[in-house]
Amino acid sequence: MTFRTFTQRTAIAFSHILVATGVLAAPVTYQLRVDGLSCPFCAYGIEKKLGALAGVGRVETHIKDGVVIVIMKEGFTLDEATAKKTVKEAGFSLRKLEPAQSAP
Amino acid sequence: MKLNTALKVGRNIIIAVAAVMVAGWLAFVPSAKEAPYAFVTAWGEKGSAPEQFNDPTGIAVAGDEVFVSDSRNNRIQVFDLDGHFKRQFGSPGKGPGQLGRPMNLTIHEGELYVAEYFNDRIQVFSLDGQSIRLIGKSGSGPGEFNAPGGVAVASNGDLLVADFYNQRIQNLKADGNFVRQWGTTGKIGIWAGEFNYPTDVAIGPDGTLYTADGYNDRIQAFGPDGTLQRKWGGPFAINIFGPFNGWFATVTGVTVDQKGNVFAADFYNNRIQKFATDGTFLTRFGTKGGGPGQFDHAIAVAVADDGTVFTADFGNNRIEKWQQGK
Repeated sequence: MTFRTFTQRTAIAFSHILVATGVLAAPVTYQLRVDGLSCPFCAYGIEKKLGALAGVGRVETHIKDGVVIVIMKEGFTLDEATAKKTVKEAGFSLRKLEPAQSAP
Repeated sequence: MKLNTALKVGRNIIIAVAAVMVAGWLAFVPSAKEAPYAFVTAWGEKGSAPEQFNDPTGIAVAGDEVFVSDSRNNRIQVFDLDGHFKRQFGSPGKGPGQLGRPMNLTIHEGELYVAEYFNDRIQVFSLDGQSIRLIGKSGSGPGEFNAPGGVAVASNGDLLVADFYNQRIQNLKADGNFVRQWGTTGKIGIWAGEFNYPTDVAIGPDGTLYTADGYNDRIQAFGPDGTLQRKWGGPFAINIFGPFNGWFATVTGVTVDQKGNVFAADFYNNRIQKFATDGTFLTRFGTKGGGPGQFDHAIAVAVADDGTVFTADFGNNRIEKWQQGK
């Protein structure tokens, strides 16, 4: 049993409230599956176009896996229609958009 | 009786199909006219330290130096002809001297021209790494770029730029003023003079413009007057890809040697192909893999004055050196 002071209890309760309200929540991260991504000209195109969207913090392409990871800035999300349109502008078709493990 | 007739019909069909295949092979799969090149050495591995690469995407040779676009590291690395590191320049960003995903390179009259995919511009450096001038900006208008993949310089100083997402090749004056273009802005096409994500350009000794029409799996060559002279890559050069001699599976780089021979980086076929000025297939080299003389996607090619060939081996994060076999 761990003894906690009033200050510690207050700090813990406050942090729980922050997490519950999303203030300390990790940025939303998405995984996009795109076919035919092994050419850097295409991979860079997707990175460039997704990176230009409002709220996108970072884009990582994993060329060999055909996967694009999009890490949003806090408070932003990415909807499927926007992702699909952007990937199409880059010359590809979005196969799947799904939430991924949150960025550290 | 019916069985015999059916067998005869079947036999005739097989003979006809075989005849068509043989005729197609003879018509569309040329044999090599030269010995293949021999692998000499390779250098590099994945990383961000000097002599390491994170996506090598472009290469050029001047005198006794090899310049490499180290794309994700947003820098140019310079080596001697044996792969010994000499210097590097560039850092991530949009300012002068900074780079945003450098791609295919060219060197003209002592200046290095860098196509910047993310910054939508051509940046010109001195060979010691000083930024001299910036050409172009983002857009689809005349003189604007949407992900330039490669650049060449004509004898009169004009720039030729493979404007990847704008589906065109632009001809600009040295100061960036628009002269003309090939292809319709933003429109993909497979017919003569049209483009499907052009990736690179090169100028021959006679002024011929060679364009790597990336996803049309072909080379298109234009004369100094702008007219299409020839195209090649698969049957009729109309976006038919394949692994055979003279066919491509996405052309990502093109260069010309002093004799006018054309070298193309055949990305998905993991090889370099060499052609005569008129497009005649001469030889090919490289196979898929990570060993000596193998490629994990050959993306760019350059030729030194003595004919030595240097290639950017994208997936293996290394540079390979080749010399012509005897």
